[in-house]
Amino acid sequence: MKLSKKISALILSVVLLIGSFGHANAAKRLHAAIADWTGGIITCEVAVAILEREMGYKVKQTVFPSGTGLWEAIAAGELDFACESWPSYAEADSVMLNEDLIYEGKVVGSYSGDGSVDLLGTSGIIGLSDYWIPRYAAEEFGIKTWKDLNKHKAKFATIESGKKGRLIGCPVAGWNCHDQKRLDLLGIDFQADELGTEAAAIAEAKAAYMRKEPFMLYLWSPHWFFGEFDMVGVQLPEHKVCDPDTFTEAGNWKDCGTKGWPATGWAKDYTMNYGNPATFASAEHSDAKKFFEKMSLQNIDQAKMLVEVDIKKRDVKEVVNEWLDNNPDKWKSWLP
Amino acid sequence: MATRSDLIDKSNQSKNILSYVIIGVVFLVALWLSTQSEGPSKFPKEVTDKFTFTAWVNDGEDYLKKNYRWVTKLIASYIKETYYFVEDFLLESSWILIAAIIIIPCIIAGGLRLGIYSSFVVYFWGATGMWEPSLQTVALMGLSVLLCVFFGFILGVLCSQSNRFENFMKPVLDTMQVMPAFVYLFPALFFFGIGGAPAILATMIYAMPPIIRLTNTGIRQVPAQTIESATSFGSSKLQLLFKIKIPLSLPSIMMGINQVIMMALALVVLACFIGAEGIGGQVWQAIRRLDVGWAMEGGLCILFMAIMFDRFSLAFSKTERTLPSDVQRFYLLPQSWEKYQIAKIIEMPLNFGNKILKIICQLVTTIIASLFKLLVSVFNKSTADNIGEFISKRYYVIPYFLILLFIAFLDHYFLEIGTFPKEWKLSIRQPITNAVESLTVNPGFISFAKGLRAFVYLNLLRPLDVFLTQIPWWYTLTVFAALGYVTVGIRFAIITALLLLFIGACGIWTQSMITLSSVLVSVALCFVVGVPLGIIASYNERFRNIQNVVLDAMQTLPYFCYLIPVLMFFGGGTVSAVLATVIYSIPPIVRLTSLGLTQVSGTYSEVSRSFGGTLIQTLNKVKFPLAIPSLVIGFNQTVIMAFAMQIVTPLIGGKGLGLEVFNGLARSDTGRGLAAGIGIVLLAIIIDRITLAYTKKQREALGL
Repeated sequence: MKLSKKISALILSVVLLIGSFGHANAAKRLHAAIADWTGGIITCEVAVAILEREMGYKVKQTVFPSGTGLWEAIAAGELDFACESWPSYAEADSVMLNEDLIYEGKVVGSYSGDGSVDLLGTSGIIGLSDYWIPRYAAEEFGIKTWKDLNKHKAKFATIESGKKGRLIGCPVAGWNCHDQKRLDLLGIDFQADELGTEAAAIAEAKAAYMRKEPFMLYLWSPHWFFGEFDMVGVQLPEHKVCDPDTFTEAGNWKDCGTKGWPATGWAKDYTMNYGNPATFASAEHSDAKKFFEKMSLQNIDQAKMLVEVDIKKRDVKEVVNEWLDNNPDKWKSWLP
Repeated sequence: MATRSDLIDKSNQSKNILSYVIIGVVFLVALWLSTQSEGPSKFPKEVTDKFTFTAWVNDGEDYLKKNYRWVTKLIASYIKETYYFVEDFLLESSWILIAAIIIIPCIIAGGLRLGIYSSFVVYFWGATGMWEPSLQTVALMGLSVLLCVFFGFILGVLCSQSNRFENFMKPVLDTMQVMPAFVYLFPALFFFGIGGAPAILATMIYAMPPIIRLTNTGIRQVPAQTIESATSFGSSKLQLLFKIKIPLSLPSIMMGINQVIMMALALVVLACFIGAEGIGGQVWQAIRRLDVGWAMEGGLCILFMAIMFDRFSLAFSKTERTLPSDVQRFYLLPQSWEKYQIAKIIEMPLNFGNKILKIICQLVTTIIASLFKLLVSVFNKSTADNIGEFISKRYYVIPYFLILLFIAFLDHYFLEIGTFPKEWKLSIRQPITNAVESLTVNPGFISFAKGLRAFVYLNLLRPLDVFLTQIPWWYTLTVFAALGYVTVGIRFAIITALLLLFIGACGIWTQSMITLSSVLVSVALCFVVGVPLGIIASYNERFRNIQNVVLDAMQTLPYFCYLIPVLMFFGGGTVSAVLATVIYSIPPIVRLTSLGLTQVSGTYSEVSRSFGGTLIQTLNKVKFPLAIPSLVIGFNQTVIMAFAMQIVTPLIGGKGLGLEVFNGLARSDTGRGLAAGIGIVLLAIIIDRITLAYTKKQREALGL
């Protein structure tokens, strides 16, 4: 019995202590999702830093893997906003957004979903995905475009891919890259391997680069990988969608051969920030809504910060604050 | 007599030959069948189309979401409030206060040694820049352990009182432990929101079984004489339970709490996938940025934390060894060093300090006790005496609170202590990262890695994959059912067949065969590597001690810490998945091999050696046969752990049911994820039961 009393006394004490020292904070609060790739983290940190430094907010940040779960969490009001969604990867955007996405006066995407998630505005980052090979391999084998790949497929082969070459493909099926389909349609005799996470794909690619082995990698830019390693794109055919677009879940994934997606490369990804409609409709957060409407971070700025964070291994917050201090002209205009 | 034992021997031999022949025939038929089929075996389409388990689950989930979400949200909001309360307190208090809260109980419970160790742990959190995440993990773990102990204790007591309830709980507990956490982690998200609340609830599912089991067995193992004498004094059933049985089973319950803490820590790390903060998030971020060193620092924070909590909770259940009065008690060094003069000299000031500390504590406590006594005696004399006595007995706990209050007071009004000082930084990131990177480009090591990868893939994984997926499903099913019949009995054989039919009807037959194949390959590799290690350990004690430390570390380190090095050396894909599984699930087989061999080493091996047996002969003919039950248990645990790992391997390119779970969740298709998760559980349970029944038979045959 002595034992249980000891324990209960300990527990009681902790509870009492907590009771006497709880603090309350009166600042305006928002809850942000921090993405699980560095580019997205930086974009979000820029937004969070400005909200906190200039607009008197206290933003709680939660690391949350992107995907359908994130969209549902925002629709349910668990989180208030998230940054830098890439339209070509998200299935949820067409179901949950109900607005046009406008970049520099041009409509680059229009959505007619149920409006359970609010399109807050552009993030400014314009992404591009492609297949990439290291420059040393491209020069050694003379590979200029994807058409030259088949001649050298043996050099890209691994134990698992056998006679075919290996593509370190889009890591997650949920991103809708359709790598194997694209390779087959274009007649590239490679096998697309789905490694499950970005980390797995990049780890293999990094190790192969360090050993100067040939490899082909699916990747998007801006990405820190390009800051550290010299890669060249294989220039997939330009993005086209066949008319009518039947390569959708609604169209039962009927492709139209080589005439359109997925036999082409990706479209440019005009990325956006998105949030909970109720939160941003309230008068309390109208300033934040205005800020998100104007925010537009440029690729080149994100790329610079990516190098600082991922290659020089500096702290994200430190890097973002340094950028804000040195480039006030770039972001002062976003303030409401 | 001799003829009789001869006869038994002969019948045993012929039985052995017969079973080998049967196994051989079964295998050959399977081989022939698999070469006949083109492509993987498929379940009849009519069945899989009609049996839309996935859709049923999703409909059910939608219904629950629509109608009962307010209930779950209410529960979640309570848990969330408490969690944020604790978290805010931990993060906003000064670091010295937090350190004192953690370190002083360690000193009280575990003495100076544990105190020094816990100070090191707290320093390590701060120095590696993981102060906040570490405390968040502590908060998450602490709350889930509290809830687990509360509910687990109640359920355990209920189990101990009713055999029917116990029989009902047994399979439930098994499922709770084997079911991959990812399966319920994500649905928890939709019902309980993100962050602390679903993490705590999911942790409860995973970590509660040990406390239920150990409370139950603890109460059931109270000696019959004690109970009899209590009943003869006229105790009622409730009195018997609360005054006799529960107090007597406290050591067992403490053991359960210890295990709950360990398991909760393991799951809290995974909870970063549903937005719970803490070290898990740090490790995951580190992995995404391929920063091996950072991931390792996070892993070490968890590892040290786990050891600290483990020792702390064990210290509670251990009774203090009293020494004879003429021997000097050692506080820091091992007691066995008392023959060295220098150890005594080192211990002298510690002894002195301890005495002074004790006197001060007693003095302070007595003053407080008499103060309280004075205060209360105004109202009631006898309660005052009781309270005074109660306080003065707690001469460790009371000064502890005084110190805490003093620090808090100091911080609040005079000094701003704030967070952990940045100047005390310590970083081991760079050396670890450098080591991994130099191995990545080391030609010798890489050619070894490539050879291993080719060997595992070409000779083990691919043939077995093709073999298992191409055998017609009805054949595999029959073989499993027959195995169940031979080892356990007819009832189990029918259950096995039904469970496998369920897997097939869900349309995941091929994936489950791929999972089975990678588990079998991993377990085989564990055997090849683990058994020799166990043998060496059973002969050499120093080797065994070092090995045990390594194995402990391997089991507590969050498994995604070592995923990146595996990826850099072996590339992504199924081979890496198998190797990661081997690293994770090898400890039991090593431990139990060495345990089994050391247990029989005494008389049996001496007898064998006196008859002139060589070392190898003794090992082969005497020790191994006797150690078989222990080996099979090790094998069994390794299999279960290998199945559990299948849910993580998709992160580095694993295939099969684990990937199904991930794909289901990525599209928020709970039904698909759940079906695959159940598939993993069912396969694990079938193999578990068959091997356990086999061990039982072996034990009986050996007369153990």
